[in-house]
Amino acid sequence: MSHNSITRRFSALCLGVLAACSSSADRNDPDAAAAPFRVALLTPGPISDQSWNGGAYAGLQRIRDSLGAQISHIQTKTPAEFEENFRQYAAQGYALVIGHGFEYQDAAKRVAPSFPKTVFVCTSGRATAPNLGGIAFAFEEAAYQAGMVAGALTKSGTLGLIGGTQLPPVVASFAAFEEGAKRERANARVLTSYIGNWDDVSAAKEQALAQLTQGADVLLQNADAAGLGVFQAVRERKGAVVFGSNANQNGVAPDVIIGSVVIDVPHALLTVARDVKQGGFAGKVYELGMRDDVVRLEFNDQLAGRIPPAVRSRVDSVGAAIRAGTFRPAASDSPVLPASAPR
Amino acid sequence: MTPARRAGIACVAAIGGVGALALLLAVFGYSPADGLLAFWRGSVGTSYALWSATLVRAIPLSLAGLGVALAIRGGRLNVGAEGQLLAGATAGALVAQLLGAVEGGTATGGGMSAALTTPIVLIAGALAGAAWASVAAWLRERFGVLEVISTIMLNFIAVHLVGALVRGVLQEPTRVYPQSATLAAAARLPVLVPTTRLHAGALLAITLAALLWWTLRYTALGFRVRVVGESAAAAASAGGIDVARVAVMSFAVSGALAGLAGAVEYAGVTYALYENLSPGYGYTAIAVALLARLNPLWVIASGVLFGALQAGGAAMQRDAGVPATLVQMIEAILIIAIVLVDRASRRRAAEAGT
Repeated sequence: MSHNSITRRFSALCLGVLAACSSSADRNDPDAAAAPFRVALLTPGPISDQSWNGGAYAGLQRIRDSLGAQISHIQTKTPAEFEENFRQYAAQGYALVIGHGFEYQDAAKRVAPSFPKTVFVCTSGRATAPNLGGIAFAFEEAAYQAGMVAGALTKSGTLGLIGGTQLPPVVASFAAFEEGAKRERANARVLTSYIGNWDDVSAAKEQALAQLTQGADVLLQNADAAGLGVFQAVRERKGAVVFGSNANQNGVAPDVIIGSVVIDVPHALLTVARDVKQGGFAGKVYELGMRDDVVRLEFNDQLAGRIPPAVRSRVDSVGAAIRAGTFRPAASDSPVLPASAPR
Repeated sequence: MTPARRAGIACVAAIGGVGALALLLAVFGYSPADGLLAFWRGSVGTSYALWSATLVRAIPLSLAGLGVALAIRGGRLNVGAEGQLLAGATAGALVAQLLGAVEGGTATGGGMSAALTTPIVLIAGALAGAAWASVAAWLRERFGVLEVISTIMLNFIAVHLVGALVRGVLQEPTRVYPQSATLAAAARLPVLVPTTRLHAGALLAITLAALLWWTLRYTALGFRVRVVGESAAAAASAGGIDVARVAVMSFAVSGALAGLAGAVEYAGVTYALYENLSPGYGYTAIAVALLARLNPLWVIASGVLFGALQAGGAAMQRDAGVPATLVQMIEAILIIAIVLVDRASRRRAAEAGT
């Protein structure tokens, strides 16, 4: 027995599998078919998060429904997988491949020159090439408004922020939230926790409970799937409220979510995909914010009554100023964000 | 057991595996035909998949698998390969930065040539892996702390250390993204097969597997490692072997192999240090080593098999629309099935008295 038997068993197994499958593999070559408009999406996390990744998948579905595209999605974790899948999709003739996060841009930069017929787009990315672009979301614009509401509503004067990892857009949005809060309440204290990943629900819950224990009574989470744990924690403490992020999460926990800082990712992805389909894509960074109706603060009607009308109107007028281009949160020009192109 | 019998078992295993995969896909409402075709095309069914996906993943899996196999041969369970791998990648990135062998790097370390930089990066990775493993070995010898516990804890420390470094001293020059500067093109491991992603790390893995196999089988040193692993008491009393010394040494070399896996992944695939550099290669390496029955040569085959499983799983997501969670479940079930078939055939062979 021992090594010898396993040797033969493996070789026989491999041969058997080869024989069984080689016939089917030769048959339908996707490249041989007529070329439909094909769009692929790579997400760093599960599309069931009802947030960043779920929003991107909804965008992919909208691209399918509105533009008649054939779609494909894959969840990828490591930089090695990013590059592998970019290449696989491009080799299969996909017209547009979207990497949903800044972390995809190094891989996209490496792959793009080899596949000039495929357009690569990285959300939150800044790298550009003739067939490579980025989408920058001015998430901090609506986070600033959320901060104003939080500063006005807090009784303890302590606010809590819970993020996944310390990515530049997250850091900037937290800075904007604090800035907005201090506009309403100059002595507001802001607690910040990063849980180190985007999917550990119980770690997020633990951090939220810790912040609540320290007196925080208005929280903002930007932790994707893990953020669901923040909502759980707030539910267990009477009186506190929380802001959702990325998608409209108001329905996820309508008893505690006062509003959501929404990035309309579907709208953004559709905008870019339409450009690609019509041949109008020029390797650039799409700067999308409140002005483009891609970023906005959406209140939960069940709880919005708690916000005094005076506060509400101040928040609205800031929104109008941002849309008009007469106001910009300082965090938009924060050093953690690469210099923004003129809009 | 006759060769015909063995071939029969292999066929049953192959058909059973494909059948189980098809059944799982059907149960969850996905087309088994599409799923299997995607799995095949994404693992070994196309030359691109084989050279650029399966074998690229097999390299770190095999190197770390060799490390785990060596540790178990020496009587210690190294579940810390993941942390040692990260330590290796980190040391590689650190050394490359110090030598200026990164994009936008200042000098080239006093005219140091790229041909010299790459080996230094790899050696630094191996040393860092050995050092990381030695912490666990030392805790065991000095305080009797079980390495099963200490290595897992060291894994967590390594993960968070990388997280801190890519936001601190190792952060890329623009100081925006949590990753290190990109390794200069000249200092990267060369690609073996043009137009694929297969890099020279594959040769390194095969060479080291052969070397480890030969050492364990034919040298006095290898004999001592095996004896200590089989029975430490007998090795000490009858063999007069310094058990602690042999155990610590084999554990450190085990860490060196895992650290090398990390440095090779850095210099051959990712070209920068990231927090999520490894999708758990160090943990999968334990299964790689066990399936290979701790034989270094079989670790390579086992690494390729696991690489194919992961690459095929990715293709099922990409081309057949099977969700990631289901793919991960299928991968785990297939691993259990492979191990079961392996055990069952061994037992039958034992009963048959062969």
